[in-house]
Amino acid sequence: MPNREKPSMVKGLKQLLKYIATRTAAYLATIFTGVTLTYIVVKAMPVDAVENILFNIISVTAVYDPASIELLRRNLYEILGMGGSPVESYLIFIRRVFTFDFGPSIIAYPTPASEIVFNRLPWTVGLLLTSTLTVWVTGNLLGVIAGYFRDRRFAKVLESVAITLYPIPYYIMALILIFLFAYLLRIFPLGGGISIIPEKLNLEVILNILWHSILPAASLILPGALGWSFLSSRTLTMQTLAEDYTRYAEARGLPRSHILKRYILRNILLPQTTVLALSLGGIFGGALLTEIVFTYPGVGQIAYRAIFSGDVYTLMAVLFLSIIGTATGTYLLDLLYPLIDPRVRYR
Amino acid sequence: MGTVTESLRRMGKLLITLYMGNLKFRIGFTILSILVILGFAVSPFSPTNTRSWYIVPRDRPPSYEYPLGTSSMGRDILWELCASIRNSLTIAFVTAMIASHIGLFLGFIAGIRGGVIDRILMFITDTFIIIPGLPLLMVVTTVLKRYLTIPTLGMLISIVSWPWPSRQVRSMVLSLRERTFIHTAKLSGMGTFRVIVQELMPYVLGWHLINFTNTILFSIGTESGLAILGLSILDDNTLGVMIYWALNWGYALFRGIWWWLAAPVATLVLVFISFYLVSIGMTEFMHPIARR
Amino acid sequence: MIVEGLKAGYKLQTIGSSEEVGVYVDAVSGVSFTLYRNEVFGIAGESGCGKSTLIKAVYGYYEPSLVLRGGSARIYGAKGEEFDTTRMDRGLLEKRVWWKHMSYIPQSSMNVLNPTMRIRDHFAEILRIHVGMKKGEAYQEARKYLEEVGLPVDALSAFPHQLSGGMRQRVVIALAILLEPSLILADEPSSALDVINQKVALTLLREKQEALKNTLVIVSHDMGVHGVLTHRMAIMYAGKIVEIGRTADIFWKPLHPYTKALIESLPRLGDKSKRVGLSGSPPDLKKPPDGCRFHPRCPYAMLICSRAEPSLREIKEGHYTACWLYSEAVGEPR
Ligand SMILES: Nc1ncnc2c1ncn2[C@@H]1O[C@H](COP(=O)(O)OP(=O)(O)OP(=O)(O)O)[C@@H](O)[C@H]1O
Ligand SMILES: [Mg+2]
Repeated sequence: MPNREKPSMVKGLKQLLKYIATRTAAYLATIFTGVTLTYIVVKAMPVDAVENILFNIISVTAVYDPASIELLRRNLYEILGMGGSPVESYLIFIRRVFTFDFGPSIIAYPTPASEIVFNRLPWTVGLLLTSTLTVWVTGNLLGVIAGYFRDRRFAKVLESVAITLYPIPYYIMALILIFLFAYLLRIFPLGGGISIIPEKLNLEVILNILWHSILPAASLILPGALGWSFLSSRTLTMQTLAEDYTRYAEARGLPRSHILKRYILRNILLPQTTVLALSLGGIFGGALLTEIVFTYPGVGQIAYRAIFSGDVYTLMAVLFLSIIGTATGTYLLDLLYPLIDPRVRYR
Repeated sequence: MGTVTESLRRMGKLLITLYMGNLKFRIGFTILSILVILGFAVSPFSPTNTRSWYIVPRDRPPSYEYPLGTSSMGRDILWELCASIRNSLTIAFVTAMIASHIGLFLGFIAGIRGGVIDRILMFITDTFIIIPGLPLLMVVTTVLKRYLTIPTLGMLISIVSWPWPSRQVRSMVLSLRERTFIHTAKLSGMGTFRVIVQELMPYVLGWHLINFTNTILFSIGTESGLAILGLSILDDNTLGVMIYWALNWGYALFRGIWWWLAAPVATLVLVFISFYLVSIGMTEFMHPIARR
Repeated sequence: MIVEGLKAGYKLQTIGSSEEVGVYVDAVSGVSFTLYRNEVFGIAGESGCGKSTLIKAVYGYYEPSLVLRGGSARIYGAKGEEFDTTRMDRGLLEKRVWWKHMSYIPQSSMNVLNPTMRIRDHFAEILRIHVGMKKGEAYQEARKYLEEVGLPVDALSAFPHQLSGGMRQRVVIALAILLEPSLILADEPSSALDVINQKVALTLLREKQEALKNTLVIVSHDMGVHGVLTHRMAIMYAGKIVEIGRTADIFWKPLHPYTKALIESLPRLGDKSKRVGLSGSPPDLKKPPDGCRFHPRCPYAMLICSRAEPSLREIKEGHYTACWLYSEAVGEPR
């Protein structure tokens, strides 16, 4: 008789709920601790934001009266929630986190920090979403093919290329690409997100944006698609090929294309979705260095400027997004993976 | 201590076997040795101080006199490169010494003790994993800018480098713990510590070596990233700092002084590839399925 | 099926340790036998004597390290079509022979089902690919078939890991019989199971064989299985067949000293006398001994046994052995 585990519905449900509860608790706790730790570090930055703004205001308005400057200074501390004791400002900060209102920015005072970040978000997400998905799809396809035909010449060539590209950080790749395509061949622009002032979104603007994002995207895609994504799916493919069930499928006379699709792809795509979920979670963190190297107008640029001008709130808004993104990626994966992969259960 | 010498001896033997048996390891190790020689044996003979400005004619392309050319800062790029290799490798070595051993220690404790200790340690590890490392380091280096030296920079980078080795060692220990020989050792009355050292160490040591190598890779990458952003030790020589000056001060590409940028970038690429080859050579040796 | 002088073995290539480079394991060394329609044929022998290798070589399934060194293995389809599996390439075997005319149950069947595919798809894919059925039709057929072989129908929608070991084994057996091939090669189809499941699995195999009147080869080191199930059997020792005959003859009138030792070591009802097993251990197939491979352990060894190899000869009707003891030319040399 089938020896299938059939725990009573109630027991199964209880177990599931318990699993979800512990995972959710851990998820919230890591976010909280992560945000707090980051906050403490960020607060220690030596650049005094208030003095920064004060300096700007004074130079624009030409107010030199010491009393009004002092008043202004006190007001600014108040507005920025930086006046009180460290504990007080921490509590203010936590309250703001819940509403995602991080207070006014300093790099573009008085625009709210969250608004600045949200304005830049489409740039970063657009660039990273496209390149992450491209990396995942092409890397996996190439990896499976190279793993399946591992003795062919092209597979070996691909492997050597991957081994060369994989360890190179994307920003070094960015420099190499700039050197080759912008300096030597002069095909692509040296940087920037767009070179015309957009009045409204039309085809020309979109094409111009795309034109500017080709090199940044390539710097992310090359080490990825021909690097980790390729190498990991190649290794997984070779492992799956050595499994008893794949070899027995061959012995049953099933055609190669069928085995590739139903036995290999199916079994390796499951672990590979893990990687995809994690890298999608990392999207909000941006590719800071790529953005700097290409002067690409994403959230990474904002974070960079925020650090140099002591803009605690804008920086925290960026970091918060990134922490949430990564943590949520892992969390959702833990919850959903047992649904996708029949081999895994909730523990 | 006997176990330490024993471990070192084992590692030495492992290296020799690897060098003989694995092509990738051999290539990586050879390139790496050349870089180490350039950095540590050749660079002390530098005829000029690689940190001073305007000591040789500026902007000279590669020639017989200056094999790699000179920069707009008036430095001989060859000698600056050698010093940079030394410093970059030193930073990375410090990071790897600290981070991979913290990882080894915490991963071991978590894996062996399990239960509450495991959960607490993994919670801390996970927290560090979700914090975006580069921005955090950027902030930390801004805060501690005055104290940045070659070794302290290596220490700072290890703040964000230990979680992955720790996770790796833990899962390694967990899977080893299930194997029968550990149970036998426990049953035969060996203390927990003896079990760890005698039964698990030989297996974990190989992976530790891989973690060590990967942490070196990570550290060099991070340092050059920080440097490109202007957050490294700008008055010393590292590969990243060379890139920083070439890009941000010299506008090397706009002005056509490509050799200034090409030298550190090409060297970095060599460093990355050689360490990576060493790392996968070891992995393939340890995990034969990847070999075929 | 007719197997003649089949030679196959493993080429070992180990990176690093210098001693094993280029070593050849002589696992099947000139094996010949003939199988008839409507019979159950057993292969017995100690662990490592080459039983599984023989099955793989006959089936034509060569993993990277397994190489064919000579001989032929001809199988005959239900309509008398002849295929020599040693002369056909992989693609041809896949298309023409495997599963349609000949199927194979591997030794460790626990992990041979795709963990991400439901049981019904394992059946359906064979029906679709080898028979050309449509998906819906194949599912219906799979359900009908499972009922017929006595497997619970709700196993169809299960994933492999949700089934017990015994169930999985029966699924694998059912897969092998699905297309009613004229030859079924079963390598230890029951050895990983407990006694009850063993019986269920073997009964399934035998009932199907009786219904189909085809040829079933059962490899087992368990002589009990052979006694109950097989009509004829072969005894293997160190890569060679040392004796072939009707199972009853092998059990009651064994010829070869190795077979005798094997039979004598079996526990018998009411017999309490202590069994003397064979001394020594089987030879290393990387460097097999000259002459008869059994001679270092043989209590009757003669001079010639270490010099020349005895060939398989018919001693009584349908009963063959390869041993110098039964040779007329046993003029003790010198
Ligand atoms: N993949 C392989 N590579 C190298 N040698 C192998 C391989 N598989 C088997 N051998 C060797 O070939 C010989 C025959 O092995 P085989 O598996 O055919 O034995 P068997 O009779 O089926 O044993 P068992 O009863 O244990 O299944 C043994 O000496 C074995 O060590
Ligand atoms: Mg076998």
